[in-house]
Amino acid sequence: MYRYDQFDAQIVKERVDQFRGQVARRLSGDILEDEFKPLRLQNGVYLQLHAYMLRVAIPYGQLDSRKMRKLALIARDYDRGYGHMTTRQNIQYNWVALKDIPDVLEHLAEVEMHAIQTSGNCIRNTTSDHFAGATKDEIMDPRPWCEIIRQWSTFHPEFAFLPRKFKIAVTAAEHDRAAIRVHDIGLHMRERDGEVGFEVHVGGGQGRTPHIAAKVADFVPEAELLDYLEAIMRVYNRFGRRDNKYKARIKILVSETGETEFTRLVEEEYAAQRETEKIALPQAEIDRIHAYFAPPAFADKSATSEAFERAKAADPKFANWSEVNLHPHKVPGYTSVTISLKPIAGLAGDATDAQMMVMAHLAETYGFDDIRVTHAQNVVLPHIALDDLYTVYRELDAAGLATANESHITDMIVCPGLDYCNLANARSIPVGQEIQKVFADPAYERDIGKLHINISGCINACGHHHVGHIGILGVDRKGEEFYQISLGGRADEKAAIGDIMGKALASDEVPGAVKTIVDTYRDLRTNPDEKFIDTLERVGHDPFKEAVYNAAD
Amino acid sequence: MTSVRPKLKPETPKTITAWDTASGQVVWMRADGSWSDDPTELGVFTGAAAEDALAKAQTQEGEITDPYFMEVTADGQIAGRETLRESIRANGPTVPYGVII
Repeated sequence: MYRYDQFDAQIVKERVDQFRGQVARRLSGDILEDEFKPLRLQNGVYLQLHAYMLRVAIPYGQLDSRKMRKLALIARDYDRGYGHMTTRQNIQYNWVALKDIPDVLEHLAEVEMHAIQTSGNCIRNTTSDHFAGATKDEIMDPRPWCEIIRQWSTFHPEFAFLPRKFKIAVTAAEHDRAAIRVHDIGLHMRERDGEVGFEVHVGGGQGRTPHIAAKVADFVPEAELLDYLEAIMRVYNRFGRRDNKYKARIKILVSETGETEFTRLVEEEYAAQRETEKIALPQAEIDRIHAYFAPPAFADKSATSEAFERAKAADPKFANWSEVNLHPHKVPGYTSVTISLKPIAGLAGDATDAQMMVMAHLAETYGFDDIRVTHAQNVVLPHIALDDLYTVYRELDAAGLATANESHITDMIVCPGLDYCNLANARSIPVGQEIQKVFADPAYERDIGKLHINISGCINACGHHHVGHIGILGVDRKGEEFYQISLGGRADEKAAIGDIMGKALASDEVPGAVKTIVDTYRDLRTNPDEKFIDTLERVGHDPFKEAVYNAAD
Repeated sequence: MTSVRPKLKPETPKTITAWDTASGQVVWMRADGSWSDDPTELGVFTGAAAEDALAKAQTQEGEITDPYFMEVTADGQIAGRETLRESIRANGPTVPYGVII
C-alpha cells in the first residue's frame, strides 16, 4: 500500500487546518451557506436530508487494518455507529455534525486519509478492480497506475474547476469488474509485444443520459499515460459545456462532437503536448510507486488445503459460502474473500463500527493487512490462505458478515435513496429489502445464479440502475413512489445500458415483478448454467415484458 | 443542489424548516420565530406572516442553514406533495440503521 511522503502529509494537514478555520467562520456567522457550500464540498461535506454527510476517499478502495479501525472509531464517536460503502469504493458517514468534521478530518489525516476531491467538479477517486494484485486473470496489478493517477489528479490546478465531476477507473483483467466503460475515462491495461499500455475509453457515464464510453486509443504506452490523460482533460476543459449542468459531463461532449472528431481533438492536443511540455514521468518514480504494491510474502502452499476440505464437508453453510464468495487467487493455496454487506433485509453497503473492527482484525491476522471496498458496496479480503478460511468464516459469521450472495440476486447495488438523500425521488433501501425477502432461500438464489440488480432512487443513478441486469429506478408521481424496471444493462466488458420494460410500478408490485422476470428466465434458459443475462440476450426482452405486464393485467 | 421545492400559494398553511448549522439537525420555526428540533412544536404561517417569517429566517443563516417553506395542515401536520420527503426528514430513515441484521 502507498504510504504518504512528507509532501502528502503536509498538504493534508494544511487542508485540515484550513477547513477548521472555514468551519469556525461558518459557525460564527462570518460566512453564510452560499459562500461556505463550495468550501465544504471541496472537503466531501454534503448537507443531506437529515444531517451533514461526510464522504471519505478510499483510493482505489484499498485499506489496511489501521485505516479500517480509524473508520470504525469515527463511526462510533462521531456518527451513529456505522458507515456506508459507496460505488466509488469510498465510505460515507450520514450523521456527522459540522462542528466535529475538522476533528474527524484530523483523525483521518493520522492514518493518511482525507475527504479531498470526494465532491465538486474535479477528478474524483480513481477506482479499480477490487481483486487487483490478487486475481488470476489480470496481466498486472493496476494499483500503481491508480496511485500515479491519484497523485497527478490531486490538487491539479488546471483541473480543479472542470465543467462537471470526473471519474476514472482502471482495470488490468480481461473481465472488467471496475465498470470502466461507464466512466468518464476507463483504462484497460493491455500487453503488446512485451510492453504494457492502456486501452482508453472516454465518455461513458450514467445519470439522466447514460452512455457507453467510446474507445479513443487502442494502446497508450505507460510512459505516455499522463500526457494522454492530460490531453483528454484539456479538450474537455476547453470544449465541455458549462452553460447547462445536465449537458456538462464529458459523455455529452463526446456524443455531440462525435467519436471521430473528439478523438482527433485529443490526438491533436496530445501531439502538441508531446512536443512542448511532455510530463515524462521518470522511470525511477514509476518504480518507486510500484514498490509500494509489491506482493506480500506468500507462503509456499499446495493448491489444495486439507483443513479447508474437511471444514466444507463438516459445515454445509460454510461449503455454500465458499462456493459463492471466493475468487481464484494467483498464488496456490490462497483465495480472495468477498465479505457481503448485503444481509437479507439488511442495510445494503452499511457496516457497523463493530463489524469494521472485525474486518480489520481478520485482515491484520490472516490477510496480509489488506482490505478492499468494492464498487458493489462489499468488502474484500484479497489474500486469505485456504488453511485459515474456516477460522475467518466463523469470525465473519459471528459478526453477521457471512452472507453467501456475492454477485447473486440479493447482492444488489442500492443507493441511499429518499431515506437519506436530498436529491432522491423515492426510497431504494426498503425496495431492495423486499426483493431480498423473495429470494432469501439460499437454494433458490443459487439456482438463479449470477444476476445483478441495481437500484437508484432518482435519475442521477448513484445505484447504477442503467447497468444492472435488472435495473430499478425510483420515480416520483405526484408525491407517490413508483419504480421503473429496465432489463439488459451490464457494467462489464460487454457494457450495455438497460432498456426500460414499460410503465412504472407501485413499490409493492416490484418484488413480484422481479420474481416474474426471474421465473421467466428459469423457464427459458437452455440449462441451469446459462446465466440470466445470456438468456436475456439470446431470447430478447419481449417474453419478460409480456410476463410482467400480462401478470399485472 | 437540493430537490425541487414546490411553490406554495399564499393561503396554503406552511411552516419554515431548515437545518441547524452546527449539528446539521433538522429544525422547524415555532410560532414565536424561535427554532425547535421537535416537529410537534412547529408554527403554522400563511400569507404575509409566512413571507415575514421566511425573511426573518434568512437573516439567521449563521445559526440555521437553507430555510424554506414546508407545507402543513392548519393544525401543523406535514402535508402536500412533499409529505413523504418531509416526514422522513422529520422522523429519520424508514429503515433501521447502525444495527447488525
